[in-house]
Amino acid sequence: MINLKNADPTFKWEIAKQEGGKQILKCFGCSDCAASCPVRYFDERYNPRKIIRLTLLGMKDQVLSSPFLWFCAHCHACTEHCPQGIPVAELINAIKNYAVENGYCPEGYKIQVELLQKMGRLYEVEDFDLKKRQKIGLPPVDKTIPEVAKILEKTGILNKVGK
Amino acid sequence: MKKYALFLGCTVPVRAQHYELSARNTAKQLDIEFVDMNGASCCGFPIKAVDAETALLIAARNISIASKMGLNIVTLCNSCTAMLSDAQLELKNNRFYKKFKELGFTYPQEITVKHFVRMLYEDIGVEKLKKSVKVPLNNLKVISHYGCHYMRPSYLYGFDNPEVPHTFDELVNLTGAKSLQYTDKKMCCGGSVLGIDEGLAVTMANHKLNIAESNEADALISICPFCTVMYEDNQRKAEEKFNKQYNLPVLYYPQLLGLSFGLDKNAVGIRFNRVRPNLLLEKIGGQ
Ligand code: SF4
Ligand code: SF4
Repeated sequence: MINLKNADPTFKWEIAKQEGGKQILKCFGCSDCAASCPVRYFDERYNPRKIIRLTLLGMKDQVLSSPFLWFCAHCHACTEHCPQGIPVAELINAIKNYAVENGYCPEGYKIQVELLQKMGRLYEVEDFDLKKRQKIGLPPVDKTIPEVAKILEKTGILNKVGK
Repeated sequence: MKKYALFLGCTVPVRAQHYELSARNTAKQLDIEFVDMNGASCCGFPIKAVDAETALLIAARNISIASKMGLNIVTLCNSCTAMLSDAQLELKNNRFYKKFKELGFTYPQEITVKHFVRMLYEDIGVEKLKKSVKVPLNNLKVISHYGCHYMRPSYLYGFDNPEVPHTFDELVNLTGAKSLQYTDKKMCCGGSVLGIDEGLAVTMANHKLNIAESNEADALISICPFCTVMYEDNQRKAEEKFNKQYNLPVLYYPQLLGLSFGLDKNAVGIRFNRVRPNLLLEKIGGQ
């Protein structure tokens, strides 16, 4: 049951302001996105239409705290099918971004932000890797790219994820 | 000679050297020159879910490097392709340009971003590629896995058919190997949910492994390091979870292409494949 007593009617406007969230108001709930979603195919707990519906209804806390929000694989199968032309994967991503702003960032993502801050890449390039590359005739790669940390500072993302 | 800036991303240079090696060596056969991008970082995709704007800026900085080199970008990873293409479009439309400039980045010359496989299809072409095939791999039946960000979203790429993709099948077929038609070709590997729910990710990967098995495929051909992580590195996990024995080799497309060009198995890095493709090599009369 959805109790609309705690609904926040401004929630959808907040999402519409996010990168990729602009088109949310066009959704008429046809469920084509859910029908084409491979994640939904294997796990009924995830449903893009339901997330969009709850967002339009203003069920802010329920949407932002849902662990299933993060199940979206960003595969864009839904985007190709939405009759309203909504880039659904980007819309779900916008809701994820908003969840992060509100303190719901999965631990794994926090770690990735930290790695990018430290090295500018996700995987550490160890001396072992460089030797292996050299041995098979591949050119060396930069171990760290410090400029990435400057970008992270500029956008304030480190504060957002609470680091 | 065609010349491109080669974007490696995070995964390829440390975890998929055989992909990089085979891509570089097949390119050489085709008179393609790859120039390395000094100072290139992660593409940005991994933190798009945290903050799309930050991801776009990281991608745009990489584009700025290639733009200064005056070269179009070729990528090896599907996600890198999507993220860089996204930023390239935004740069063209002058969005987030203010922050981009404030960070000291420039975009002196408009450039394009293409996946290695798309570059082969569009810039070299099936007919010309066919001419380089010296050892047709006629005995092989394989499953071609496109992965999500090769042709989707179509508004970003405008390439191939997102519903009935065919370009990669054509590229596989020209090697002499038969690219099988099968259900759920567009299915996602599950890689993006690996960090959130491993069980679900492995279930998604298993779906295609199962299809490969029932079609008696000799290998799954991948064009993305994340898809390979799901189908090769996590194959054991799928076998355990579903009580199966797949033992399915997963080859990167340039490995297959290189073998058909007559390149030696070391030149395409076969020894780095985690599921040994011995049977496959035997079938093509290899060492
Ligand atoms: S397919 Fe589009 S219109 Fe239909 S429910 Fe999904 S987002 Fe809404
Ligand atoms: S992008 Fe997300 S919601 Fe859309 S089909 Fe893929 S997994 Fe489902």
